Amino acid sequence: MKNIFGIEALEGAKSGIREAVDYARSLKDCRYADLRVGLVETRTASSENGNPKIAREDVHSSFGIRVIAGSPQTEAWGYYAQPLSKAELGGRALWKTLRQGIDRAYQRAMVSSQRKQALRELAPALSPVRLAPVEVRKDTVTARFEEDPRRIPIKEVLSEAMNITRQAKSVSPEMRFAFLMMATGLTRELFFSTEGTELDQAYALTNATLLVVAQKGSAIPESFIDHIGGHGGWEAVRGKNVYNKSFLDFALERARDTAELAGAEFLPSTEKPVTVVTEPHFNTLLVHEIIGHPTEADRALKMETAYAGRSWLLRRLDDNEFGKQVASPLITAFSDPILEGYGNYKYDAEGVPGRRVTLIEKGVLRGFMNSRETAAILAQEPNGSMRATACHYVPLVRMTNTVIAPGDRNPQDILSEVEEGYYIVNHRIPSISESRENFRMSAQKVYKIENGRLTRLYRGGGITADSRDFLMSIDAVGNDFIVLPIPNCGKGQPMQVMRVGNGGPTLRGKARLTGEYAR
Amino acid sequence: MRLEDLRECVQKGLDSVKQEKTEIEVFASWNELITMRLNYTSDIPSGGLQEPKSSQFSGIAVSSAFSDKGKTSLGFGSQANELRPRGVTEAFRKAKRGRFYDPDFRSLPLPAGNPTLVDYHDPAVLDISDKEAVDLGWKALEGALRAFREAGIKESIIVGGDVCILKELVAIKSTTGIDTFDVSSILTAAITTMVEKEGVKGTGWATSTKLAGFDPALAGREAALSAIRTIGGKRLPPGHYEVVFGSQPITDMMANVIAPSLSLATVNASNTPFLGKLGQRVTSPNLNIYDDGSLPGQIGSKKVTCEGLPTGRTDLVQEGNLVGFLANHYLGRKFSSNVATFVPRNGFRFHGLGRTYEMQPGVFPTNLVLEGRQGVTTEELFRGIREGVYIGRIWYTYPINGLAAGDFTSTVIGDSFLIKDGQISTPLQPNAVRINDNINRVLQNIVAVGREKKAIQVWSAEEAVIAPEIRVEGVRLDGISAGTA
Repeated sequence: MKNIFGIEALEGAKSGIREAVDYARSLKDCRYADLRVGLVETRTASSENGNPKIAREDVHSSFGIRVIAGSPQTEAWGYYAQPLSKAELGGRALWKTLRQGIDRAYQRAMVSSQRKQALRELAPALSPVRLAPVEVRKDTVTARFEEDPRRIPIKEVLSEAMNITRQAKSVSPEMRFAFLMMATGLTRELFFSTEGTELDQAYALTNATLLVVAQKGSAIPESFIDHIGGHGGWEAVRGKNVYNKSFLDFALERARDTAELAGAEFLPSTEKPVTVVTEPHFNTLLVHEIIGHPTEADRALKMETAYAGRSWLLRRLDDNEFGKQVASPLITAFSDPILEGYGNYKYDAEGVPGRRVTLIEKGVLRGFMNSRETAAILAQEPNGSMRATACHYVPLVRMTNTVIAPGDRNPQDILSEVEEGYYIVNHRIPSISESRENFRMSAQKVYKIENGRLTRLYRGGGITADSRDFLMSIDAVGNDFIVLPIPNCGKGQPMQVMRVGNGGPTLRGKARLTGEYAR
Repeated sequence: MRLEDLRECVQKGLDSVKQEKTEIEVFASWNELITMRLNYTSDIPSGGLQEPKSSQFSGIAVSSAFSDKGKTSLGFGSQANELRPRGVTEAFRKAKRGRFYDPDFRSLPLPAGNPTLVDYHDPAVLDISDKEAVDLGWKALEGALRAFREAGIKESIIVGGDVCILKELVAIKSTTGIDTFDVSSILTAAITTMVEKEGVKGTGWATSTKLAGFDPALAGREAALSAIRTIGGKRLPPGHYEVVFGSQPITDMMANVIAPSLSLATVNASNTPFLGKLGQRVTSPNLNIYDDGSLPGQIGSKKVTCEGLPTGRTDLVQEGNLVGFLANHYLGRKFSSNVATFVPRNGFRFHGLGRTYEMQPGVFPTNLVLEGRQGVTTEELFRGIREGVYIGRIWYTYPINGLAAGDFTSTVIGDSFLIKDGQISTPLQPNAVRINDNINRVLQNIVAVGREKKAIQVWSAEEAVIAPEIRVEGVRLDGISAGTA
């Protein structure tokens, strides 16, 4: 297949980007600028109940510019972003487009700096933007894959999706609906800054999102959405992914579970906490919501108050949980973009090398994921946690592969020690309090544990607790560590949907059961 | 980008790819979202207007129905950022390459009457300068800070939120006879403030389709005053309460639980609590719900859908009975029969940044309106409540056990009060109450619906909800963490 507008086109863009960075350097009172230029090639197909619904080949290129400019006491951010056409990616055309973008971002920063100055009497905390220093880097990171996504004909992607939903729909007479959206593609992003950093990173991504719905008679339908995928090419479809399962086997397992649940009882709620054993798939979302999000520095510094909320871990700069016990001593949590998973990368969207950040060590709060700006405010080292969904989005502090570290207990032993309790399996939907201090989260399946054995299956259940209480209640941590994909973490305005890796081992703690409420 | 260029692109592009036995629709869009995101924290160094930014999207989508040996196969192709006839040619080539047989496909959209809402955008919004846009953001911040200053509050202040300006241009032309265009302009300000040491949060909104009269400073002021009003909040023991929901909670429940349940997309997936209930009672008889994308001056309004069809009113619930579902052309044709028809007024290509060529037309609400069969005054709404709760802002509202089950949960994060003897009394402490209930039960237990309505858009939603205050009995509220964070 002829590749007419692909990631190779970015090679010729580098000289134009360098020229644009030089131009930014020449602007009066422009202290910093960075440019990100990206190109994404994807093949996407979807199917419902064995029938085809979508088959598309897309190529999208865009750029984003960040500028810090203004008088020294009130330097301010200015941003600009726009898509790029094939014609614009070449030499002089790119330079012209980027220069116009820099002018717009610069103008916004300069006007904002003036307004900041004018409002300082009313708003004394207004400050110039400061970035924590980082080393200048020049590096190239190539995409890893065995089967090039661009060599997979769109018809093959569609055919695979159709086969999966046809078989998933057929697992039981109770199955009402099986839908799969599948994509495979390559992304390449360039990062150039006025400090001299020049990075060229690429990755492959192949994934699928599944929705299955089953209904027994006229009972309430049971639905489940799950996601599989990984950094890699078409080989991921055949099983080279974190689940070590083909996409088909993954879908069939989810469909069978859903059909079985359609005939199960709804879990009753409890008024008091009970013993719960939560397995790694459930903990993937739990870690995401009650450890990952509150350890994002921008959230802790109140920058997300209007959207995704604050963090109960930092009330004020001088009143926070740093160095204090926030979880059981059995809990250690970290964020690591070097681990394999959806949060894997070498450099973040500010050109900072990603590295492991210890968030909680033996239950004590140790660190936040940060950006260069939030690191400067917190007087910390930047740790490479800034990510953007695409180059036309402004980077935000994001989870990478954010996980609870494995313990030393056999998960079977953790279960068998429970006289009476509940086994909480596979995450479903979260609802979290504004500062992540409380959560209610549903599971796909809940089993009653009696004398160390799973005795009864429920649907429509989950757990609720105050975050600190739950984390402090953990009395066993398994050795069954896993990092799973979360494809749809929403943050920012406009909302950016980001893929991150989350996970951990089996845990045992205390929480209230949530289930059926009066209908 | 000029509308004329967009129209010429779809016209010439369609001419260049027309062929026998093939239906073709060409959709071209250009849009720009300008966002002024605020972040002011009185106790932490901050930028005020943290992110003055914008992003654009433009491109072409081609949908084609090819007649091959007695079967009709369907193909989709798109071309990013190439608003020229050659972009149409390339998108058509992709559509042809990827075509397939879909047994549910009936036809590409067909012309269906004339739009009632025309020429409703504001040219001043399309031409807004960077300086003017940046100023709107700073005005919102200043409005909030002046209100705090007047109240003598200088510390522990947070001001967040944004002022957004969305410009959208689309042109659509097809061999089935559709030839139309649409231009819209939307301005929103959604401001959140806190006095953090008091644990209080307030919100303020402003929405408009015209620049004149759009006042983000007022939204900032409203947010600050709202936070100040709730200082000294009390906690609540768990139980079932008589609750008056304000417009924002109604909007949040609509956007995340009710509206998705009233869409043919969830009917198609057998995943709605309203499955098989068309014609049956699903809410209190005192409630009407409809969607209307042709309401003048509302931010969810459009002249035509992204399928080129006129927008208009779709009744969903009338006096408590389920009478309709939101539909696009594809699903409307799939589910229409001799007992029910679904007019496709909601086929949009939304993707978080307005209308975009990147998406196939899905089913999206426009302006969702709730109203009472008999709307009452605010005084009447509260009358007779001996001990109850006014809930003014909720957060993270989700159908926790799947849409079909109807169970939902949410936390109360601000703008809320206890009600005593029919009057607003003590503020309710934010982040101290979680709603745990079922939407079917809540809709059935509506006691009264207010007459006054307010248009609100929730985070990341494309639609507006025009919602009154609604009184519901027996809502389950649980106490959660002390809210000291």
